Amino acid sequence: MPSEQRLHPATLLFDLAGHIKRFAVPAVLVIFGASQSSGGPGGMFGRVPAGWESWLLVMLVPAVIISVARYLSFRLSYDQDGLVIRSGLVFRNERHVPFKRIQNIDAAQNVFHRFFGVVEVRVETGGGKEEEARMSVLPRAAFDEMRRRVFTERGSVAPELPDGEVAHAEQAVGETLVHLPLRELLLCGFLENKGMVLVGAAAGVIWEIGLGNRIMGQLFGGSEALGRSFFRQVMRGIFDGGPLPLAGMGLGLAALVAFLLIVRIISMAWAFLRLYDFTLTRIHEDLRTEYGLLTRVTATVPIRRVQTITVRAGPLHRWLKRATVRVETAGGAGVKSAASVREWLAPLIRQEDLPMLLQGVLPGFDLAAMAWQPLHPRAFSRAVKPKLILDAIVTLVAAYAIGWGAIGVVILLLPWSIVSARHFVKHLAWAESDEMVVMRSGWIWQQMTVARVNKIQAVALHQSPFDRRAAMARVRVDTAGAGEFTRIDIPYLDRQVAAQLHERLSAHAASSAFRW
Amino acid sequence: MSEPNEVADGQDHSLDPRVIPLQRITGGLSTAAISLGSAVALGVVLLVGDDIPGSVRVLLPVGWLVLVALGAWQAYRWPAIHYRYTSYRVDEQGIEIRRGVYWRVVINVPRSRVQHIDVSQGPLARRYGLGTLVIYTAGTDHAKVELAGLEHGRALRIREHLLPSGVGDAV
Repeated sequence: MPSEQRLHPATLLFDLAGHIKRFAVPAVLVIFGASQSSGGPGGMFGRVPAGWESWLLVMLVPAVIISVARYLSFRLSYDQDGLVIRSGLVFRNERHVPFKRIQNIDAAQNVFHRFFGVVEVRVETGGGKEEEARMSVLPRAAFDEMRRRVFTERGSVAPELPDGEVAHAEQAVGETLVHLPLRELLLCGFLENKGMVLVGAAAGVIWEIGLGNRIMGQLFGGSEALGRSFFRQVMRGIFDGGPLPLAGMGLGLAALVAFLLIVRIISMAWAFLRLYDFTLTRIHEDLRTEYGLLTRVTATVPIRRVQTITVRAGPLHRWLKRATVRVETAGGAGVKSAASVREWLAPLIRQEDLPMLLQGVLPGFDLAAMAWQPLHPRAFSRAVKPKLILDAIVTLVAAYAIGWGAIGVVILLLPWSIVSARHFVKHLAWAESDEMVVMRSGWIWQQMTVARVNKIQAVALHQSPFDRRAAMARVRVDTAGAGEFTRIDIPYLDRQVAAQLHERLSAHAASSAFRW
Repeated sequence: MSEPNEVADGQDHSLDPRVIPLQRITGGLSTAAISLGSAVALGVVLLVGDDIPGSVRVLLPVGWLVLVALGAWQAYRWPAIHYRYTSYRVDEQGIEIRRGVYWRVVINVPRSRVQHIDVSQGPLARRYGLGTLVIYTAGTDHAKVELAGLEHGRALRIREHLLPSGVGDAV
């Protein structure tokens, strides 16, 4: 068997490209700044000889030396039960990663990677903020071998697998749980609306370079004066009954609509690039997602490492009968980029397919059979009180600031508070089965969080003074890698119900062995 | 599994009563430090500020005295109240900790979820023979659960009981 793997020679090329990329922005800024300041006589860089810019490249040398050393020293091999990674020319380092502890193997392949037939691989185990091993870049064959070894090795230790299947583990095609065709992909981009982020970033860059003013100047020819007179006209139209600049207002409105449309279209294009050919397959006990047009990402998560699953649906999603599904795993909690690579289970899924997907990921979980329990009957009066107090404060401030106009504020705020509290309470519910505890919440953006009982780390029963007065309590379930919005935290429960739930969950959690 | 440990009796226990004088001392020390610091600041303000009206000159020290008295009273009174509302229970399943005077919370940590445990002891706590039990889990909110004011030997025994016995806990 091939005992040792090295990095692909293209590593050097990619590293160099990476260094240059990192180096390019500051370098360009320096050169740009220098050329501006030395433009006039006696500038700060006036006495520096011509061609000094090329000397900046000297700064690249240490980075290149490190890359070469890493390339020369890196060795990947396998022993009985783990990966062995040797690295370092001067300070030798040998790292052992047991197969059993590997949480997931992620791989990314951008266009250039694909040209050379290489992949960038990340191996993560449980704790720690950083991945345990990052191999950039390995030949494709080496990655396939690693995946095969890690997963067959795992398969042979997993007792639930029948013996016959282990032998076929590598050829197993698996069961496709989610696949996004083009239409769904574009729809996903439309609903996700990430375009705003891109537009914001672009605006930032434009402003930074100072192009903004120039463009505005070109477009409006003294935009400030125009803007000011326009607003004055609008104000006069509203308050003094003068003629409204309807043409201008229409133009503005049209521009706004066009802008929002463009943002959505950008978002769709972005989703197309990023999530192209999104596929989620289940291969025995692992979930594998693959997506991306230019950068192809492959992420593998063992099903038993899934901590919580969150299903979200906004108003548009519900109207189109769609939802999004994410998972939380314990690995790499601190690294946002790593998390975003594999937290998607389905960026978009039809609601009718949802029970099947959940069943595929959590065997034995039947969404339809969940017996949803409501909150305490008096939960509404609890939920509405903080809102009313907040309203009162806002109204007092408004009354101080604008006088009688504050009545308008009350008319706006009060119904909103009552309606939103009413719906908040109505949509909040929880359910439990032998292996799961589920909570759903939210009114406009609805979500449902599923946690497996054997992933529960601790159960807490909270009682504020208000809770005690109303004989209520709050139950919080703590899992590994729980995000702020993806945790089970049920407020306004009847004290008895809460105490029983708390008792049951902790007993249940205690009797089930925790496996990462 | 080890032989049944006598701490795992499934009964609710209060902390060691010696935690009350201990917390009174630490509370008193911090109150003293804060009062001293604020007294110095107040003195500087009164000396430097020439245009402070006479009434304020009287009111400021009086206010300071009232606050210090309140702080001292709180430092004396609070440990006993805190003691009354803190309890724990250890059984075969794990540990249950109750605490909080106004905002109450009951935390259950199953034995099988304990990652590791610290028993720590400050200089003052050592004189009283007390220790703090710190339980680490893989969770997020309760990644670290502390229970201060246990008799040190008892904290060690609870640690022995809670630590995973090594079977089937693949991390």
